[in-house]
Amino acid sequence: MEVTTKDMGTVTVVTIVGSVDGLTAGALQTALEGQIQGGKARLVADFAAVDYASSAGLRTLLAAMKEARRAGGDFRLAAVRPDVLRVLELSGFTSILKLYPGTDEAVASYGP
Amino acid sequence: MGSLNDKKVALVIGAGSVKCAAALGLQNVFKREGIEIDLVVGCSAGSMYAALIAAGYDVDRVTDMTKRLWTRDLTSQRDRMALLRVAFPRLFGFDATFGMRKDAPVMRRLREAFGDLTFEGMKIPLHITATDFANGEQVILSSGSVVDAIRASISIPYIFSPYKIGDRLLIDGFMSDPLPVNVAMREGADVIIAMGFESPNQTKINSVGRFSFQLSSIMTNNLLKSRFAFHNITHHSEVIPIVPRFDQRVRLFDTDKIPYIIEVGERAAEEQLPYLRRLLGGDATEAAGA
Repeated sequence: MEVTTKDMGTVTVVTIVGSVDGLTAGALQTALEGQIQGGKARLVADFAAVDYASSAGLRTLLAAMKEARRAGGDFRLAAVRPDVLRVLELSGFTSILKLYPGTDEAVASYGP
Repeated sequence: MGSLNDKKVALVIGAGSVKCAAALGLQNVFKREGIEIDLVVGCSAGSMYAALIAAGYDVDRVTDMTKRLWTRDLTSQRDRMALLRVAFPRLFGFDATFGMRKDAPVMRRLREAFGDLTFEGMKIPLHITATDFANGEQVILSSGSVVDAIRASISIPYIFSPYKIGDRLLIDGFMSDPLPVNVAMREGADVIIAMGFESPNQTKINSVGRFSFQLSSIMTNNLLKSRFAFHNITHHSEVIPIVPRFDQRVRLFDTDKIPYIIEVGERAAEEQLPYLRRLLGGDATEAAGA
């Protein structure tokens, strides 16, 4: 799994490539926590290149969502693939996270 | 533990009528890959497949047994007294043992398949879930007669009467949790393979029966998701959901579609293989603590 970040105004887009699972959860958690602790709590995770998600990986997203909201921001998902979306739906994540078709929409959702 | 590493692997087969045969496809894939299961949990029709797998039967035998076990004539014997009890409850004494079909055919089939097998005699530890009709609590059956446990777990409301084990009157396991991942968690499983099935929505509602089925599907699917979401978040290691996608419509007793169902189960299991191989094959320390 690879994680890269890009600031777009007041929003930080975190692009994740690969699998969000128990074997990559630690690295992903470190990356997301680093952003939030660095004052970047308005996050968009670009999931276009995430091809797999497991329960341990999803728990990392949940932790990031809670941290970001606690810091006054949010953690939003963009471009989730159908297979990953199915896992998110079954796990209840689609009822607590905001999802957008693409990163542009997700970034714009934060407003100016 | 028989897995590729020291992780305890559990297979949970949820409610889903004949679609539960997809678990045989998963069994095929796991056997080919050398992934051994340390614990099996079954609910409703999934309890039959869980028991067949736990008994150590091979896939061909289980497939053959399934075709004979789960056929339309299981519900062929109407209980005329039950109808009279519905029509004249005071006169004929309507009570909690209500069911529209006699269970003699299903009991006969289960005895043919499992005989006097007990949980204690299973090759792989087995747990079957049912629901206490008195209060809705999940009941985990882990000892005694396998036939009795399956009969209780498949007590489909309105169709089969609730079934008494000990001092509890039990109904279908799906009423408390259609995918009882919690049992595997309680039993100390690390990696939990959870094969679940969403209840189909009715495309056309033109009878009271279909109206009732649709209500049941809505409640069951919401229960499935809410329970799974909780277990998914609270488990210490991995819960890997496998929800097979069926392009063809599969009805309650479509046993002629079992080869197709098994194939769908195989495909669904294969989608999880790359991660399972990595998870069970080596450096899974991080996963356990994630």
